[in-house]
Amino acid sequence: MSSTKRYWKDLGELHQQPEAIKGRENEFPQDLAIDQVLGDASFNGASTGRRDFLKFLGFGLGAATLAACETPVIKSIPYVNKPEDITPGVANWYASTFYDGEDFASILVKTREGRPIHIKGNPRFGLNRNPALPKGSINARINSSVLSLYDNERLHGPMKKGAEGMAASTWAEADKSIAAGLDAAAGKRMVVLTGTLASPSSAAALEQLKAKYPTLELVQYDTISYSGVTNANLKSFGKRVFPSYDLTKADVVVSVDADFLSSWGNTTESTWQYASRRQPGKGMNRHFQFEARMSLSGANADVRVPLKVSELPKAVMALHAHISGSGSGADAAMMKATESAAKALMASKGRSVVVAGSNNEGVQVLVNSINSILGNYGSTIDIDRPSTLHQGNDAEVARLVEGMNSGAVGALLIAGVNPAYSLPNADQFKAGLAKVPLTVSFSGYADETASLCGWICPDNHYLESWNDFMPKAGHYTLGQPVISPLFDTRQWQESLLRWSGSSVAYYDLIRSTWQQGMAQYGGLAEMFTNTWNQAVHDGVYEPAGIPAGVNTAVFAADVSAATAMATASTTGAGEFELALYTTEAIGSGRHANNPWLQEMPDPLTKITWDNYVCMAPADIERMGLNMYLGEQAPASLVTVKAGEREITLPVVPTPGQRTGTVAIALGYGRGANGEKVGRAACTTDHIGDFVPVGKNAYPMTSWVNGAVGYEALNVTVTATGDTYPVAITQTHLTDMDRHSVVKETNLATFLTGDKKAYNHAHELGVHEDVNGDGVINALDKKPVAEFDLWEEHPVEGVGHRWGLSIDLNGCIGCGACITACNSENNISVVGKDEVRRSREMHWLRLDRYYSSATTKESAKEDGLGKIDMYLKMEVPEESPTVVFMPVMCQHCNHAPCETVCPVAATTHSNEGLNQMTYNRCIGTRYCANNCPYKVRRFNWFNYVSEKFGEVNPAWDDLGRMVLNPDVTVRSRGVIEKCSMCVQSIQAGKLAAKKAGTPVQDGAIETACSSACGTGAIVFGDLNDKKSKVLGLATSDRSYHMLEEIGVKPNVNYLVKVRNTEEAAAHHA
Amino acid sequence: MDVPPKMLGMPLVARISERSTGLLYATLAAVLFLFSGIAHAQPADAALYATGEKLFKGNCASCHKPDKDLTGPAMKGARARWDVKGDIYAWVKNSSAYLKTGNPYATELFAKWNKSVMTAQALSNEEIDAVLYYADNYAPPPPKPGAVDASASTGTNDEGSNWPWLVVIALLLLVVGISLSGVRTSLDNAVREAEGKEPLPDMTTGQKFRQWAWNNKAFATILGLFVVVFITLKLWDAAWVVGVYGGDEVPHYKPEQPILFNHTLHAGKVEAGNLAINCQYCHSSAEKSKHAGIPSTNVCMNCHQAVAEGRSPEGTKEIAKIYAAVGWDPATLKYTGRTEPVKWVKVHNLPDHAYFNHAQHVAVGKLECQECHGPIDEKMDVAEQWAPLTMGWCINCHNTKDVKMAGNGYYDEVMARLEETDMGHAELKKYLEDEKISVRELGGWECAKCHY
Repeated sequence: MSSTKRYWKDLGELHQQPEAIKGRENEFPQDLAIDQVLGDASFNGASTGRRDFLKFLGFGLGAATLAACETPVIKSIPYVNKPEDITPGVANWYASTFYDGEDFASILVKTREGRPIHIKGNPRFGLNRNPALPKGSINARINSSVLSLYDNERLHGPMKKGAEGMAASTWAEADKSIAAGLDAAAGKRMVVLTGTLASPSSAAALEQLKAKYPTLELVQYDTISYSGVTNANLKSFGKRVFPSYDLTKADVVVSVDADFLSSWGNTTESTWQYASRRQPGKGMNRHFQFEARMSLSGANADVRVPLKVSELPKAVMALHAHISGSGSGADAAMMKATESAAKALMASKGRSVVVAGSNNEGVQVLVNSINSILGNYGSTIDIDRPSTLHQGNDAEVARLVEGMNSGAVGALLIAGVNPAYSLPNADQFKAGLAKVPLTVSFSGYADETASLCGWICPDNHYLESWNDFMPKAGHYTLGQPVISPLFDTRQWQESLLRWSGSSVAYYDLIRSTWQQGMAQYGGLAEMFTNTWNQAVHDGVYEPAGIPAGVNTAVFAADVSAATAMATASTTGAGEFELALYTTEAIGSGRHANNPWLQEMPDPLTKITWDNYVCMAPADIERMGLNMYLGEQAPASLVTVKAGEREITLPVVPTPGQRTGTVAIALGYGRGANGEKVGRAACTTDHIGDFVPVGKNAYPMTSWVNGAVGYEALNVTVTATGDTYPVAITQTHLTDMDRHSVVKETNLATFLTGDKKAYNHAHELGVHEDVNGDGVINALDKKPVAEFDLWEEHPVEGVGHRWGLSIDLNGCIGCGACITACNSENNISVVGKDEVRRSREMHWLRLDRYYSSATTKESAKEDGLGKIDMYLKMEVPEESPTVVFMPVMCQHCNHAPCETVCPVAATTHSNEGLNQMTYNRCIGTRYCANNCPYKVRRFNWFNYVSEKFGEVNPAWDDLGRMVLNPDVTVRSRGVIEKCSMCVQSIQAGKLAAKKAGTPVQDGAIETACSSACGTGAIVFGDLNDKKSKVLGLATSDRSYHMLEEIGVKPNVNYLVKVRNTEEAAAHHA
Repeated sequence: MDVPPKMLGMPLVARISERSTGLLYATLAAVLFLFSGIAHAQPADAALYATGEKLFKGNCASCHKPDKDLTGPAMKGARARWDVKGDIYAWVKNSSAYLKTGNPYATELFAKWNKSVMTAQALSNEEIDAVLYYADNYAPPPPKPGAVDASASTGTNDEGSNWPWLVVIALLLLVVGISLSGVRTSLDNAVREAEGKEPLPDMTTGQKFRQWAWNNKAFATILGLFVVVFITLKLWDAAWVVGVYGGDEVPHYKPEQPILFNHTLHAGKVEAGNLAINCQYCHSSAEKSKHAGIPSTNVCMNCHQAVAEGRSPEGTKEIAKIYAAVGWDPATLKYTGRTEPVKWVKVHNLPDHAYFNHAQHVAVGKLECQECHGPIDEKMDVAEQWAPLTMGWCINCHNTKDVKMAGNGYYDEVMARLEETDMGHAELKKYLEDEKISVRELGGWECAKCHY
């Protein structure tokens, strides 16, 4: 049966709070913006009289009229010598690689007139390539990284620490001084501290410096540590590696607190692999998630079990007990909780995978043992060709900090990491840094660490650099520059080469490293230039003849010792337990200065521009804190204290959070001491103070067993009594309480093949005998699709009819589509204060609906009475299920917005697009009021103005370079909305016309569909009989949102199917 | 008013003097032409000279000039230079073979001219003689009338702008009229005085006019109405062309350019003495991109590396500007590396928020450049905005032009789809009522075709 559930998007709505209901009914809830303009105190002192005002007005009008008569003089300056491959007006795409120590992806960079303006995944090559689509999977951080190139707060040249702080210097001076410093430090410990160094040529550059200074050593430090995993593999298999996973082969995925869809491991790979197995049908995987905080992975899981932080290691032990059959000593409650997962795993030996997010070595050894017993090594887990992206070693970092403080370290070069911000013992690091004679940072910003160093030798942005990577053995990628360095910066590897006395350019070093490396694979030296050129073109090189991974992994660790170690991390639990996590947008904090990412709502909490304490609603209620948040309803501030460490943040009720636990996101609070870490990392708050966005939660991490621990078991939470406004989009612009918004079912129902059971079309009663029973009664109904109030648009068979199909099963909620849309369509960033007033400009939003796992059907099976059933449906906060739903303009064929526009600024095209013409719009906002999907956005201000200069990249001349020149930058007073990337459609049609061929299916992509590596968003021509989108739109799972209102959208959704039938049995 | 915009702000006197400068130039040019015609001595053997010229242009001109060094040495005097030193015929026919003979002058020449071997020429001795005769007797051609100086023609379309004169005359007439009415009053008074009547009350012209209007109410009302309607209409018309710099109703925008590039000379017909270079030789991105593209300076150098002289001293000066921009030293025939991009003034400025793509119109729509840019190859020495580029102008064309469907697989598919469904068939019938499918019928009037 289809699921009859209750959907709700926030607690206010669930509990029918009057604020929430009022907010829902009022799409533009504010008084006119003029209040704010007039509220400006500076106007009070103005002495302009009425007559003067009229004079100014008259003069202004006259002047404007006269100015309009002036012929514009616009200079047009061609190249002196045009590069062969650049045609002004035509975009070039270059293959490159993104790796920042956190995310890895093969990418394509779009450049216009030499400026990179957009990034998408490489659809042809790379680990992140989803071959079935084909598309490259990326996340929001990756496609937003193009914006950070144009940040004016990047250092414009080398900096030297002087008596009065950092002062500008020159490269000549830097090279001379640093070379002298290195010479002076010779013989002492010299350390190059980097993130994971997955680049063979960077290692080669380092070797050259090491040849000159033999005491030089490399310390790799992962901002988010995986030392527990790599150490466990050392113990288990004798290799200190991070395995690579192949989720395409996994029928069962069990994750204990590993958010592998958002932050854990190589997510660009795991997202598409996971999604490829979420297609409803016989091959659909089953996903169990045990966790304290509702993570993105948990939100997608078929079975999600909320556990306390201290219970998570116990759950792993219990799983181990189930799988190994030695049940003694395991926690009884956990044994029960993990029973169904264990059963599923046992049934899928060799076709399953167990992962754990803990950085505790003991826990990870147990996970290895489980996977080993299940025979997953060699199928879903590859330890012979491991990932090289998480090589950081916390123990060495700890040893470095000790060495710095003891004076043993003579020189420290820091590249790509920010330990003064992110280490648990950052204070010790800072103290040690002051004792090192030569400290050099390669940071592009004068950030927390760099501003304490003696020298900053700013690195290029990655889009200005040559680089190479080996993310796993036998897979090489190249990063190529797409623009000359904007500032006087130098790639850090280049600096190493200079200081080693070499005059080789880093580019040449990469080439020679590759040439030597290729010989190893039997490549022909004389063919090298061809191979190299091909590798630059593709971005990826995979030499032939690499032997397939042989399963040599033999588990050989001491399980009882590991159990003891894991058990140690479960003791001492207090009133609250704290889990630290990274968000989908900000990650470890490296990109905290990126306004697109700061304004991207968190997939689950829908909060922008802040981090906060996630707390179970039941706890919030118990503590009497603010439950219902909104524009006028700020969050309560609480102080979370773990031993000596404490942090004060607003508290946000997060359904699905295990009671008795709290969670805080890392990566916020950059630039807290006034460091210039990038434009958007700090903003002016609502009372005019310049403050960092959020607070730094890294000090809440701690050293556990020589590795960084991201939890604290004994914390107290106390309300400060103050409140704090949060900018939350959750309650804005979405619609609810209509039953055809979200449709879902379970796999068993879907497999019956009976469309009516799970995707019943909405029907209306008619006064004719439809069912042929001889009586006209309530049983005589016709589907809504057969009714039409309006005259039909000629769409079928007439040219193109563009449409989108959105698979609710494929959508994991990552939000890459939102930032891709920002980048493609020049969407304004409006800042926290405006988001708080429901004025965000995103054309595409990601609705998140919670619902109770209890349905009318499951209640009946569970034998609940009616009253009990409704009660149970009303208390879903314990572990609600989640649906993510990307919503953009639905391009209705009977668009309600079109009929109400008094100036015909929004019209319908014969290609099925709902067109928005900014020139015509006079800003009545009737269209937005009449839109049933709430997808239209109003420009309350001129966002490309100084007022928004702090957040909006398009304000300054440098930031403006990121704009897509094919899309208008909208100004104040007009409505805008999703155009279905009409610029790409037009470009694609033109390319087809020029080639004299029909438009090929897949040749045109919207920004959202090309960013969607899981294939949830599919764009195409519904009039093309062979198109993929038509196949999806006419499939059994297809439905239109709010079908009953009969607006006939060109966007359709596919019913979400959960693989849950056994889960229901278990819960019963 | 038909005055180029740059003149609009000038006082009348300045404008007149500008025109007379134009006249002055033209006169000067004519005089120059006359003199040059006289000074241009004809060679003795005109037939041989002509044969030589033809052969020279066909075989030699890409590397040699008669009177100046280019890739190879100036040809004038070559015979004299070679006279005793070697065999010029063998040298011309196959220089690399001749080099092997070890002739010292040949070796010297080879070393002097960057060790580049001249292409072997399939010419007979007689033909070589003709070429050398041509070179020795070469005299630079006289500057052509009309192509004298591009700046002289800047003022071509200000003829007929005579309504300032009309205003002056009207004002004069008004003054005369008022004076005459004063005279009439005096005469009337004189008559009345003679007749012994009271003189007429002393009234100002305004008072008189009011009195007249009061006495002829109907007429005055109608006249007033006409005046108001006339002024309103004129203002309304004027408002329509605010910001419009092309078309029939306003003077065309024709800004001064840093280099007085002569479109007619380069793209005009050969019959008219022009070079007939294809538009897309320079504006090569017109069929690839939304921009037609202003050629980069290296494109100019494809020809102007050889063509250093204009048809007039002024033209030569303009060519020198290219050299300055691209960093070419015509004396040493080498690039200096010092470049300075040319800052052209954009002539065609689309209204804001409109998207236009050249490739769509040139490569797919197969429009001639002249359909929008006017007779740029015939009478536009300096580029000007010919079309008004207003939305009305765009959609008029979209309404009437038929889509070039033939032989394009894209449109074949469109047609196939139309014929497949009932709805499509009905639409197709509507399209074909006028027996053609216009751009508008395929969606060329829809907002998001140009605005996004």
